Amino acid sequence: MSTASSPHLDVATPERVALTLPVAGIGYRCLAWLVDASLLFFFWIVAYFVFTLLVSDVLGVFQGLSGLGQTLLVVGVFATQWLYWTLAEVFWHGQTPGKRALGIRVVRMDGSPVGLYESAVRNLCRAVDFLPAAYATGCISMLLTRQHRRLGDLLAGTLLVREERIDLDKYTTAPAPGATPAAAGASRALTPEEVELVLAFLARAPGLQPDVRLRLGTRLVDRVGGLSGEEREAVLASPERLESFLRARARAEV
Amino acid sequence: MALPLPAFVAKRRADWDALQALLGRQRSGALKLEELRTLDTLYRRAAADLAHTQTFYPGTDAHRFLNQLCGQAYAAIYQPPRERWPAVRDFFRRDFPRTLRREKGFVGASAALFCLGLLLGALVVLWEPRGAELLVPAGVRQYVAHGRMWTDDILSVAPPNSVASGIATNNLTVTILTFAMGMLFGLGTLYMLVNNGVHIGAVGAHCIREGMARGFFDFISAHGPVELSIIVIAGGAGLMVGQALIDPGELPRGQALALRGREAVKLVLGCAPFLAFIGVVEGYVSPGSMFPTWVKAGLGLSLGALFWGYLLRAGRAEADGAAVPADSAS
Repeated sequence: MSTASSPHLDVATPERVALTLPVAGIGYRCLAWLVDASLLFFFWIVAYFVFTLLVSDVLGVFQGLSGLGQTLLVVGVFATQWLYWTLAEVFWHGQTPGKRALGIRVVRMDGSPVGLYESAVRNLCRAVDFLPAAYATGCISMLLTRQHRRLGDLLAGTLLVREERIDLDKYTTAPAPGATPAAAGASRALTPEEVELVLAFLARAPGLQPDVRLRLGTRLVDRVGGLSGEEREAVLASPERLESFLRARARAEV
Repeated sequence: MALPLPAFVAKRRADWDALQALLGRQRSGALKLEELRTLDTLYRRAAADLAHTQTFYPGTDAHRFLNQLCGQAYAAIYQPPRERWPAVRDFFRRDFPRTLRREKGFVGASAALFCLGLLLGALVVLWEPRGAELLVPAGVRQYVAHGRMWTDDILSVAPPNSVASGIATNNLTVTILTFAMGMLFGLGTLYMLVNNGVHIGAVGAHCIREGMARGFFDFISAHGPVELSIIVIAGGAGLMVGQALIDPGELPRGQALALRGREAVKLVLGCAPFLAFIGVVEGYVSPGSMFPTWVKAGLGLSLGALFWGYLLRAGRAEADGAAVPADSAS
């Protein structure tokens, strides 16, 4: 959940609406890199095994390689170093497979997608960010900059933003029919924070322990319900009735 | 009074879902022209909804959702023009050589540093033979002591860690590192240039001392001119980056870096195809005695002349008339 203090990228659109995109921190980036690195690793493992299946004398073949063969080998190694990242970012709208898995994306400083230049620069700088080992330079740079950018990002003018999966169904789920209790006189309208609180509880209720579920539900009913006497008792009779009342309350139906 | 949040979401959600579906199709490139108009309309509506949620429901999940949706739509609608083949052709015909000519001060400085290293390495070995023990790799010294070029073996039976193949694999790494280490305030580039110069100078001088000058020039002449030029150009790009960091001028350091980095990386990207080509020459032509020395020297000199002729002439006719972009700091 983004709070005011967490790093973000502000974008001013021509529609005069300010966008605030959450920035991916060092943890997301390391995980995404791990995914990509293991993909590349397994690619080379598979390539090696296929190669050894086809050719028995591996060392002999490497020694007998002509200049062209050696050049091709170098190009292959280079591809995993640089082409993989750059091509993936250019053709997948700023995402490598690892970034896609983690839901983060490379964008320019103005929020637009990266082009060939930016991607090329930030991936060329991977070599420096990796120094002296295991991305030490890049990590220090990410810790020191406000928007968690490594040296390559600084040079290319890019950063990584996070994409959250947000479920809107919780707003539109209708309460179970028939279970809605009678409307309680003059109830006030809930603030958006209270609506969020109630909906967050409803989303998690099925996974809670029964007693915790009842206790939290009761506290929420007391806070938002404005009920008293036998109305309150009727609502608190069963968890189903309680939650259906809360859902109806959040939808401002009672 | 604003609607309750769930009612607002329920009312507007159809448009948001439609926008999301259209964005998915846009990503996969299956969008039709009419749909593009719908996308535009839906984006404007979503932006208005975002403004509404910013006012009435800040900090809720609906707000975050709209923020993200508008961010994606914004990126899709306001994306910069794609780089396609004509752009690539244009880059090599005009943009790359022009950028190089504009930044020739940096390339010159880089060449000077490299030559300084070359001189240092050569002088140390020529004056003080024991310096070779420090500067020339042990493998090379062994070969030279036996009166052979270490590169003769590439096309026959190569020892597993043949030095020459090491150099060949290093070309890319050296070029990229020379550029990218400019991020360390230019010091990394400085080090790479001088260090490489010292090494090549020392190996050359060592060969000359041991009476192997012919073998050395035989190996280096075919690919040397172009390859060293490329390293010098990459060094120039690295120095540009370092200069932007040390002296950003009137811009904030980050912006100056992004601006100059764009120019600098043009130089490196422009060199890439030439580097690949010269790698083939180094692997095929340079080692062994398949080609006589004069053929190699002729090839190397003419390749070098072609390369620099291209860099200094291409796109010149239009370049002189056109105004130099205002963002070039030097």
